[in-house]
Amino acid sequence: MEAAVWVIILPLLTAFFIGISKVYVKKIFVPLVISSAIIYLYLLILVINNSYPPNVYSVGAWRLIGINLMVDPFSGLFLLIIALLFLPVIIFSVKYIKSYKHEYFIFTYIMTAGIAGMVLTADLFNLYVFLEVSSLSSCALVALKKTNKGLEGAYKYLVMSTLGSFFILLATILTYYLTGTLNIAEISLEFNEIPFKIKSALMAFFVFGYVLKIGLIPLHFWLPDTYEDSPIPYNVLSSGLVMKSAVYALIKVLYIIFGIDFLDKSGLLQIGVFWGVITFIVAHLLAFQQSNLSRLLAYSSIAQIAYIMIGLFVGTEGGLIGGNFHILNHAIMKGTLFLVTAIFYYSLSAVNIEDIKGLAYKFPILSFTFVVASLAIVGLPPFNGFISKWLIVEAALESGFVYAAFFILVGTFLSLTYYLKVIITLYTKNDKEIVVEEPGLSLSLPTIFLGSLCIVFGVVPSLPLRLINKIPTFLLDNGEYIRVLLGG
Amino acid sequence: MNRINVISKKLYKIGLVVSLAIFLLFIFYDIHNLESNSKRYLSDHYISEGVQETGAINIVTSVLYDYRAFDTLGEATVLLTAAAILSFLVPITKDKMRGTPFTIIVSQTTQVFIPFLAILGMYLIFFGHLAPGGGFVGGVVIALIPILLTITYRVEFSEYKFKPDKKKVSEDIGAIGFVLIGLLGILTGSNFLANGQANVSLGDAGELISAGLIPYLNIMIGIKVGAGLAIIFNSLIKEK
Repeated sequence: MEAAVWVIILPLLTAFFIGISKVYVKKIFVPLVISSAIIYLYLLILVINNSYPPNVYSVGAWRLIGINLMVDPFSGLFLLIIALLFLPVIIFSVKYIKSYKHEYFIFTYIMTAGIAGMVLTADLFNLYVFLEVSSLSSCALVALKKTNKGLEGAYKYLVMSTLGSFFILLATILTYYLTGTLNIAEISLEFNEIPFKIKSALMAFFVFGYVLKIGLIPLHFWLPDTYEDSPIPYNVLSSGLVMKSAVYALIKVLYIIFGIDFLDKSGLLQIGVFWGVITFIVAHLLAFQQSNLSRLLAYSSIAQIAYIMIGLFVGTEGGLIGGNFHILNHAIMKGTLFLVTAIFYYSLSAVNIEDIKGLAYKFPILSFTFVVASLAIVGLPPFNGFISKWLIVEAALESGFVYAAFFILVGTFLSLTYYLKVIITLYTKNDKEIVVEEPGLSLSLPTIFLGSLCIVFGVVPSLPLRLINKIPTFLLDNGEYIRVLLGG
Repeated sequence: MNRINVISKKLYKIGLVVSLAIFLLFIFYDIHNLESNSKRYLSDHYISEGVQETGAINIVTSVLYDYRAFDTLGEATVLLTAAAILSFLVPITKDKMRGTPFTIIVSQTTQVFIPFLAILGMYLIFFGHLAPGGGFVGGVVIALIPILLTITYRVEFSEYKFKPDKKKVSEDIGAIGFVLIGLLGILTGSNFLANGQANVSLGDAGELISAGLIPYLNIMIGIKVGAGLAIIFNSLIKEK
């Protein structure tokens, strides 16, 4: 499984080479970026294909005394998201980004490497290191435009993300002190002897740290600011990958290290579902008030992540499948919405909802893509968002969270109201003469590709579900994961 | 009324901090009382087998550059990212530091000092696997040279001697070198960043050329950290 480690070091190498090309050979910049992204896509497909049965790759061949990378279906899903989003975003950004081009690509590649590392590693401290790599470069991308709003968002992000990292690091140190090891499987075995009280405290640190990075409701206030004035292609990766990678780390730590029995006993599953319900209700209501398109999408992201949390915290097989499918779907739908917004911004620097009035007659295909993606994110059939939301509702009903299932339906109507507001504005005739700069094919093709995936995954959900169906085996029964990591 | 509000807000903040502190105190107390000293097999392994397995006498180096070298790659990337953020975020304008307020003694001493700093930094890097030191520490000492130039003779002179572009490129070269040395492990049929396992000759522990690839990794990290810190310092000292 050499490809697993290449998935991490190829983006790193590309970022370093971009740094050199900025000074000496400016001409190879675009070929370097594009070819690296294509090779990366190939590597990702290779690794995803080998994700079942899980593979272990030992860095430095040290086995249990060193760092191990493990590819299981759960990390395979995240690699699939990178594979679907990364190349379109890179192609889009080559034309879209005009100032600080080199820096943008350096940080994007480093961020991707950090996310790939977080997803693949099976070592608790390594997880923290890659978390820092991805969140620091993500902060840099927020500040890239150097406008006042962007800098404010980056500063808030930096403070909150450092606070979250502090709690995660504290929990990691205490875990190492208690167990004497950093390998996730060994920690999980050692944790059987740790008293309930200490385990709960450690869990509280982990949950608080990661939830700060995810942005559930009382801890969400920094998040919309980071979306407002940052480069919009970055927002695609941010909502699709950076926030999700924190969800991934949280779920991995909770399900593998603490185990589903402890989560049930300590009541975290109930708390998680309740927290999710509160979050999406409040986030939908806040999204309704926004006039800035990026902020609206940011609040919508918070709400969608809350759906994902409900699915993952229901604690059954169906819930995990629904939640994971929604992770994939949300990345695609939100990616499409942000890319269309980016084209509107590129063509006539539209940031507010009023600015896009009547644009549907200028960009018929792109506006149709926007409608498809927003109906999908609301959760209407036959799009992909409907299926994953349906799976989450079904799982919530099955395990007795009737209130969660009811409020998801309420939330659907709430989200329909504000997305309809945008769509209606988009299709309202505007008498004003609009001068637009034509977006080329390199901007519209990635957008249409992602938008078409909304329909494809809605009509043929078995394509991604073949991978997702295998995820619960290794999360619900952490014994299976431990056996592979220790023995394989 | 307003004053009461302010005071109650302050009390609220203090109360939060104190309650968190009490909570942490109890947790740490419980953790400390737990008998966990028996679970030290990992550190015991590093201490007892480290020299045979990695060839480095300095155990810290053997952990940093061999057992957990992948973490070091991540940390080096964090440093590179920080340097890149500062160099593009801080506006490039002329500095407002005063000319040279120092007497001739300072500037003359600086000139005498710099070769010694270079030697010390080199020593720390090259002997990282034998004595206390290593790439990170040595790199910091190397970075002191441009920093000293900046403080004594202003930013312009320091950047005339060490061009910012050259520093950025050498930082990238250090990082690329680290990855390439790691790839040697894959080329010899073992895994990424493998050292002894990839049949690299470890040599006799205690010699200058021993410990396989660790000294070369040290050099790369030294270049990277030195260049990165110099960039960070010069970017921070430039003011609008």
